[in-house]
Amino acid sequence: MAEAWRLIQDEGAGAAEGLALDEALMGAYGRGQPEAPPTLRLYTYRSHCALVGRYQNLQAEVDLEACSRTGTEVSRRPTGGGAIVMGAGQLGVALIDKAPVDKRPREIIEESSAAIVAGLAELGITATFRGKNDLEVAGRKIAGLGLYVDDAGAMLFHASILADLDVDFMLEVLRIPVAKLADKAAAAVGERVTTVTRETGQPHVGAAVRDVIAIGFAKTFGVQLSPAAPDRTELLRAAALVGDRYRADAWLNERSAIPDGSGSAVLKTPSGLLRMYVSTHGDLVKSAVIVGDFSILPRAVGRLESELRWKRLDTGTVAKIVAASGADRALSVSADLLTQTVLTAGRKASMLAAAAPVRSAGSCYFPEQSLERM
Amino acid sequence: MTNAHTTGHEILVEVSGYPVAVDRMYHADSHMWVKRLTPGTVRVGLDALGVETSGTLAQLSFVAVGDELARGRAFGQLEAAKFVGPLVSPVSGTVSRTNDAVVTDPGVAEHDPYGEGWLVELTSADETELADLLGTPEAITEWFGRTVEDYRLRGVIAE
Repeated sequence: MAEAWRLIQDEGAGAAEGLALDEALMGAYGRGQPEAPPTLRLYTYRSHCALVGRYQNLQAEVDLEACSRTGTEVSRRPTGGGAIVMGAGQLGVALIDKAPVDKRPREIIEESSAAIVAGLAELGITATFRGKNDLEVAGRKIAGLGLYVDDAGAMLFHASILADLDVDFMLEVLRIPVAKLADKAAAAVGERVTTVTRETGQPHVGAAVRDVIAIGFAKTFGVQLSPAAPDRTELLRAAALVGDRYRADAWLNERSAIPDGSGSAVLKTPSGLLRMYVSTHGDLVKSAVIVGDFSILPRAVGRLESELRWKRLDTGTVAKIVAASGADRALSVSADLLTQTVLTAGRKASMLAAAAPVRSAGSCYFPEQSLERM
Repeated sequence: MTNAHTTGHEILVEVSGYPVAVDRMYHADSHMWVKRLTPGTVRVGLDALGVETSGTLAQLSFVAVGDELARGRAFGQLEAAKFVGPLVSPVSGTVSRTNDAVVTDPGVAEHDPYGEGWLVELTSADETELADLLGTPEAITEWFGRTVEDYRLRGVIAE
């Protein structure tokens, strides 16, 4: 008989409460705890919550005034990555288990994500990995991924699946300077992000994709899922974590020792001027976006943007990524010119970071675009 | 398969395309190295394979100097791409120093994992625990080579 995993399903979690329960569930899987089958939690957040990544600067990533105006709660995830908006339109996935000692982080993320790929396949959606960080459909992000292993050796695999997305709302509360492109902003997001609603042509909310995602996990791991509720110990621990961590100023206002920055550079192509925006964390690219009058964003450009993420801004690394992406040919420019454009934007980001260390590094979708005339 | 040379203060051997310093000890599961500095003082860092399989390092943070660590407990945390996880101490001891250079630039731990990219120093390191680590050049290179091959087969690192 197949192993039975515990399945927890809940709706409308607050920002702090949702994250606190995920961490509380890890308590049963730490060092010294008896062996137990994994717990899968499939849940939605209250509309809306803005969640930043573990080492992001909250004030730089989220427009706190807009959050206050729209009743959007904020918190910081234990997992890495960029700022996201969660609500009824997105399904949160949390897989909690003892971290396997014989597997490296990439393997755990890939194996856990395979279940989401399988779940989306139930809806006829073919999702694939993008740069090992996200799941994409034909070059557009449909789910963000993250992995956190705590000091006791328990793991939390996180995913946010975009069943639907209110792009205008996201542009309002996250500091995504692409919003300054006015009428082009939503289109720019649409070229890089997709949803279950868009892919199927049928309206979906987060809770509506839960069943297929559960099927994906059951099939991928060969298990049965047994619906259950968190136990009393977990609920008490979650309640404590809400105050002690996920709503605590010390946690929310944590700052990294490494400055975030953003910069841009112009690229002349035979079809016109393009602008390359790069956001950085130290010398690491957190996001890269090329904006121009594309009727359709060339796939090679999307590939370049994706592959640059989480890479260092040194000439050798960038040149290799540019060459592999094919973006130079797609834009009819030399690989060297494109490489230099990325590095120039990166250098400007570093200079700005040094001058203004709390500048936004952008969301998971777009980097900062202020000072774009630099 | 191997090609030994000395660089800076380390004796590096190349194993299956990766550098390994053989003048120190290793904890296989965590990919942490331990180098004796003085009797009762050790330096700890992440080996080249540990760095490679974590992904590009975005952030490193450490517990405070003076904190006491038991073997297997975290002396800090790393963020690499979408992964956040503990830096697990391969030995017990008291944290006597942390490397500010890798906190402000984690890239140092990637470029020079056995030298400038060290992570923490511990005092009162337990000799019996040190004896449990891989400690001879032969054992280190054999384990490292086998692990590279295994990771390549599993697709964790590129061919």
